[in-house]
Amino acid sequence: MVLLDNSNFILRLEKIANDAKKDSSFTITFKRYDGHDRPVPRPGKKPLPKPSTYMCLMRAQSKSKKISTIVSQEDVPTIMAMYSQFMKSKMDGLKRVKKVKSKAKATKA
Amino acid sequence: MVYVKNWEDFEIAAENMYMANPQNCRYTMKYVHSKGHILLKMTDNVKCVQYKAENMPDLKKIEKITSNLVGHMASKE
Repeated sequence: MVLLDNSNFILRLEKIANDAKKDSSFTITFKRYDGHDRPVPRPGKKPLPKPSTYMCLMRAQSKSKKISTIVSQEDVPTIMAMYSQFMKSKMDGLKRVKKVKSKAKATKA
Repeated sequence: MVYVKNWEDFEIAAENMYMANPQNCRYTMKYVHSKGHILLKMTDNVKCVQYKAENMPDLKKIEKITSNLVGHMASKE
C-alpha cells in the first residue's frame, strides 16, 4: 500500500484505470479516518483520544496494485473536483441512453 | 447480497447506514470497463447495500452521492 498525496493519488489512479481498461477492473473505497494508526485498546485500558476532526481515507486497488490517500476537510472540494473529472474521463464504458438525448434536443429546439 | 433496483432506495439506505455507524462504514465502487458497469457498495460489516449502474446518467448521481459521503467523512462531527 502506497500512501500518496491527493493530486498524485488521482494521477496514479488514472494510470491504474488505463491499465484496467482492457480486461480487468479497479475498485475505489472511501472510509472515515480518525487519524489513529494503532488498534483500539482492550477494555479496561485507556481509550484512544477522540480526534477533533475526521478525515477521509481513499483507497484504490487493481490486481495487486494498491494506492491510498488521506483527504482532510479543507481538501474535499479540490479532490472531489479532480475525482469527478476522473470519473467522467475514465468511467466512460456505460451505456448511453438515447431517449434522454433526443428529449434534450427536442426541448432545446 | 442482491442489488437494490431503485437508485433513490439505494441512496437513502446507504446514507442512513453511514449515519448510523460512521466509524465502521465503507463505501466502495468498482468499475469494470469490459462489462460497462459500476458496482456501488456500502457496508458496515453487518449489513450491505449494493447498486449496479449501467447507464450514463447514473454517473451524475454517483458523483453526487460520492461527494456527499466524502463531505460527511471528512468533517468535524
